[in-house]
Amino acid sequence: MKRVILPFLVGILFLILQTTWLSSFPTHRLRPDLLFIFTLYLAFLFPPIFGGILAFFMGYLLDLFSGNTFGFYTFSRPLVFLAAQFFKERFYLEGFTFQFLFAFIFGVLEGILIFMLMNTLQPIPLGNLYPLLFTFLLPQSFFTGLATPLLFFLFQKGSSLLFSQPGQGIKEKGYRP
Amino acid sequence: MRVRGLFLFRRYHLFVFIILLLLAALVLMSLRAKQRKGIEFFDALLMEVCSPFQKASTVVIKTVQGTFHQYVFLVNLEKENRRLKQKVAELETENHQMEEMKLANERLRQLLQFRAKNSPSMVGAEVIGQDPSSWFKSVTIDKGERDGVKLGMAVVSPTGVIGQILKTAPHCATVLLITDYNSAVDSIVQRTRAKAIVEGKGESRCQLKYLLRTEEVAVGDVVVTSGLGGNFPKGLMVGEVKKVDKKGHGVFQYAELVPSVDFAQLEEVFVIMEPLPSSPPREEKGKKVKKGKK
Repeated sequence: MKRVILPFLVGILFLILQTTWLSSFPTHRLRPDLLFIFTLYLAFLFPPIFGGILAFFMGYLLDLFSGNTFGFYTFSRPLVFLAAQFFKERFYLEGFTFQFLFAFIFGVLEGILIFMLMNTLQPIPLGNLYPLLFTFLLPQSFFTGLATPLLFFLFQKGSSLLFSQPGQGIKEKGYRP
Repeated sequence: MRVRGLFLFRRYHLFVFIILLLLAALVLMSLRAKQRKGIEFFDALLMEVCSPFQKASTVVIKTVQGTFHQYVFLVNLEKENRRLKQKVAELETENHQMEEMKLANERLRQLLQFRAKNSPSMVGAEVIGQDPSSWFKSVTIDKGERDGVKLGMAVVSPTGVIGQILKTAPHCATVLLITDYNSAVDSIVQRTRAKAIVEGKGESRCQLKYLLRTEEVAVGDVVVTSGLGGNFPKGLMVGEVKKVDKKGHGVFQYAELVPSVDFAQLEEVFVIMEPLPSSPPREEKGKKVKKGKK
């Protein structure tokens, strides 16, 4: 039961931190996306079905509190989760550099997906959005990447303590159905 | 046959689940696109669960920030001046509190004057959270359906237009800021009375669209609401023209606008509860809800 409820609560906690604490910094536009990092970590901690539902919920939460009227994150976050599940055993993910790169690349890919969805579903001229790829997406993904190793470490410690399974976490390399 | 079906399901259950999950997301997306809403009950429930924590977190952050600015940064001073510094810090804290009270008083007085001047049917609200995503521009306020807040209502401040209500829950609501790409407000250039639509451009900027090329617009011109959209009263400050671009050819010219409201410093806002008497009927469900766009 703990394994079911806790991730939901952690997700809500991160959302609150993201909308209040991280937004209070002067560079609030370029803040790490805590829910994104958590979604990536879910891929290492949970099996695809439950983790997928959690990722869906995280995306839904994000959509609910954002000005996003279409629900892009409800779609993109499960995709990010599934992609992370797929790649987690194909890449070496220990250490700062690899975890940073993992989150950075996934962050950029999700951004491009959102960008494409925005262009497809919203009547926004392309010219208005292209600069965002450089002024916002790359720096944002960079900061998210920087915060990832630290948060992965904390998640790992937290999950080991909470679930009393020291091997659990990123080293477990997920679940095999 | 049934056994075979069960076998196939077991074999492909993960694949089926992925398809179902993504389909559910697409259905939700389509629901939001068509009706501009998700699952109302679930949305409201989640917002209700999160908003008290958001409010508490905002209060804690403001308190901590205040303490850091007024006290903690003063601790690392020379030893011989410690006692005096402590006294100064105490006085500064007190002074800061009084200053805060004075500012709050001034702000509230301005809000009251603004409210009395513009519309009696306004409700004051506090900003309790920002948009969790950096792609979009919205804030969460501490007033919701129980306070009479409804979808599409205009949100303003004494310095100008802020946006409109996008999502509601019983005790909180999300406001789509005018700087968001989805936002559009029917406006006029105050000096020349030229009509245009103010659309969000992100990054604390807006743009004036559908502004006829023949109209004279200059940098520094003030843009105000036209009152034609129905939700915003006429004459509210939207922003100031920063750049004009005639783009060589075409029927329209474009202008960049700096909103009059500093969205980074937003603390208190007003929700206009009743549409103006001259308002046209609300747009039909399923149609694009770009307020002010005709």
